Amino acid sequence: MRFKHAKPTVVEADMTPMIDMTFQLIAFFMIVTNFEQTQADERVKLPADRLARPPLAPRELEVVVNVGFDRNADGTKTSDTPAVFYGEERIPVLEYTPRLKREKQMIELQHDKEAVNDATIVIRADGDVPTGLVQELIKMGQEVGFQKFALKAMSDEVP
Amino acid sequence: MKFRKHQGDAKVDLQMASMIDIVFQLLIFFILTLKIIPPEGDFNINMPTVQKALTGVMIDDPILRIRLEANQDGSLKQLYFGELALGNSAPEAFDQLSAKVGNLVSVQPLVAEELEVEIISDYILNYRHVVAAMSACRGRVTPDGKRVTYLENIKFAPIKRPSEV
Repeated sequence: MRFKHAKPTVVEADMTPMIDMTFQLIAFFMIVTNFEQTQADERVKLPADRLARPPLAPRELEVVVNVGFDRNADGTKTSDTPAVFYGEERIPVLEYTPRLKREKQMIELQHDKEAVNDATIVIRADGDVPTGLVQELIKMGQEVGFQKFALKAMSDEVP
Repeated sequence: MKFRKHQGDAKVDLQMASMIDIVFQLLIFFILTLKIIPPEGDFNINMPTVQKALTGVMIDDPILRIRLEANQDGSLKQLYFGELALGNSAPEAFDQLSAKVGNLVSVQPLVAEELEVEIISDYILNYRHVVAAMSACRGRVTPDGKRVTYLENIKFAPIKRPSEV
């Protein structure tokens, strides 16, 4: 019995639409990825407010201070003592002056002595933090030599 | 003269595999590094250097005082617009505050330009209430999404620590 031996056919998948889609996805993720928010600490649950608005122009010099509580993955508080989060460190709020002095020195070294007048201390405080501690931070900043302060709040939620 | 028969366009096979590898790696990198962070806004504040006496609200007074009293657990006990108590329920009390400030600004628009808000808060009060009070003084958002600005100059009163009260 004779069998016909068919030549193997090469099936070429059309990759063009997939590559188009992939590039579109990359472009999308590149645009929405925000590398500037790295100073924000996820443990801080900011109070929400519709009127809080981002600054019209980005600030050249800012010192971000994150004040909050330790929280677990669900967002539940695991500690009742608020602290300033400085990377992995947890610094009591009332002992933050040396860090502010160091920030001031860094600004003076990188720019000039007058640059501190233009620097803004941006306070990202948890909604449950006692207001007095936020005021203490502002007072410490004033004593160190900072003049501008901004308080952060979530801007897209209805409180 | 004899022409060579025109040969058909030779198909050039591009090596797509390596490009697709890189593209997928980039895609995975951006997916993994993506953090969806809601936009954050600012409240700029002015800080006083001189303590002024605590008085009630008067139209001649360039300072509008908003006082917030706290319970022991940090919740809001009473919100005051000058000497007028507005209650302790959020957001109703803050809506009332916003309406009062709105009235004041509409009645005296020239005074409002120079009017300064001083937030007088108990030390232990949860910070979110102070943000709500600042927002109520700052302005409001109309139902069609427009922002109406009332007062821009907001400052904190000097700190009163629990040991000093």
